[in-house]
Amino acid sequence: MQIKTASAISTGLHVLVLAWATLSFSGKPFETTPAESLPVDIVSEKEFSQLTKGIKDAPKPVETPKPVVEKKAEEPPKPVEEIKPKIDEKREVAPNKEVKQEAPPPDPIADKLNKPQEKPQETAKADQPQPLPPKKPPPPKPQPKKPEFNPDKIAALLDKRDPTRKSITGNELNSAPSLGTAAGSAAQLSQSEIDALKARLYALWSPPAGAQDAGNVQITIRIRFKRDGTLATGPQVLTSGNGPVFNAMRDSAVRAVLVGQPYTMLRPDHYETWQEIDFVFDSSKMYSDIPVRRQ
Amino acid sequence: MNPADVAQSVLPLTSSDLSLFTLFWHAHWIVKFVMLGLMVCSVWVWAIAIDKTVLYTRSRKSMDRFETAFWSGQSLEELYRSLSSKPNHSMAALFVAAMREWKRSFEGSPQKSFAGLQMRIEKVMQVTIAREIERLERRLLVLATVGSAGPFVGLFGTVWGIMTSFQSIAASKNTSLAVVAPGIAEALFATAIGLVAAIPATIFYNKFAGEVNKQAQRMEGFADEFAAILSRQIDERG
Repeated sequence: MQIKTASAISTGLHVLVLAWATLSFSGKPFETTPAESLPVDIVSEKEFSQLTKGIKDAPKPVETPKPVVEKKAEEPPKPVEEIKPKIDEKREVAPNKEVKQEAPPPDPIADKLNKPQEKPQETAKADQPQPLPPKKPPPPKPQPKKPEFNPDKIAALLDKRDPTRKSITGNELNSAPSLGTAAGSAAQLSQSEIDALKARLYALWSPPAGAQDAGNVQITIRIRFKRDGTLATGPQVLTSGNGPVFNAMRDSAVRAVLVGQPYTMLRPDHYETWQEIDFVFDSSKMYSDIPVRRQ
Repeated sequence: MNPADVAQSVLPLTSSDLSLFTLFWHAHWIVKFVMLGLMVCSVWVWAIAIDKTVLYTRSRKSMDRFETAFWSGQSLEELYRSLSSKPNHSMAALFVAAMREWKRSFEGSPQKSFAGLQMRIEKVMQVTIAREIERLERRLLVLATVGSAGPFVGLFGTVWGIMTSFQSIAASKNTSLAVVAPGIAEALFATAIGLVAAIPATIFYNKFAGEVNKQAQRMEGFADEFAAILSRQIDERG
């Protein structure tokens, strides 16, 4: 056989292989399951200090801080909010109080305070329709464009401070701080509460020796609470399994739920959210992932 | 910017355009040159492999046939007559060379050149064996060279491609994997071709070298046997 024939055969083979490779070789994108996005709020240092100020040494939950409201009423911050409408978490709480407490003054001196009293109401309309006081329908939408030339706003416009600043509820202005944060009304268990609950239950859970050898055992227990943190019903085991190790772990978990009973770390404000919790006892996290904080 | 938008704008560039052809086409010209050279090497290696496989198979079969004919008791003269016109394989060439030398010494003036005849026949057979081995071994060095140098050449292409892709990364001031990946993939393609060419070359070289060795030993063995036969003849006649 001539080398030419062999070359021809070889070339043909290469062309075939190349054609096959060109057709079949294509980078497939990796199949990625989109991760659930975690909403992250960026809290400035100032905001954070104000947040914690309110929570640390404030056992009184009910009292409303009135001096703060007065302080805010002196300077009209609301028109500024119209101009620079940033999203303020506190809006739900603050204007509510403000309107309610400013509503009485306009009644006796309605004519005098015509202008300053319109502004909060406008914002109240824009922000929240429901807290509108029913006493004030008479001034029916006076001037929507007027705020541009309102002389009262000049002071607010000249005010260089952050228009969305929060009223300070710490020691400086108010001796009666409120419990919780400005955004504390969120209807969710906070991570610290979850961690505290987890830490307490894991600390009380003492699975038998040799449970580590059983591998990764997960026991889900449905816990129903009463408002005061005690159990409403007995813990209900949702995971089914068998074997002596599983039984021992399950019983130990049930005991832990019963023993740790007044769960005071769960705040009664949002009782709806923790009224019923499916708690997962995970044997793989037992020795590693216990949060340090206790209660 | 919305991460989903980024993903959508980047993904088509990287995933769908990574076909072999685009990988080759976007490469630097040095890398292209390396790739083409390695491709030619691969073609040549396989051509040699096909050629040699056929050659060795034929050679082995004809050796078998010749040996059966040789030991069948057929007269050597007849065998010589049938083969001398076309000594088409190695062992036949060996036989014909030795017989020709033998006949030449006898047909001239007998009783004259017996002294050196044994040595001459052996010499002639050695020369024929060397020539035949040279014919069998031809182009095998190409396989050895491609087998040893192919990966290095491919690696050179890869290094060069990665260098250029790093330069373009620096120019675009973006280090996301979607920007880096095509350049790296295209550079690695050179190494892939180098390995594709080199691995068969090495395997074939080892296989063929062993085959040549075996056939050479077989020829040596036949040469020794045939020399012994002729030597006996010389001694009987002389």
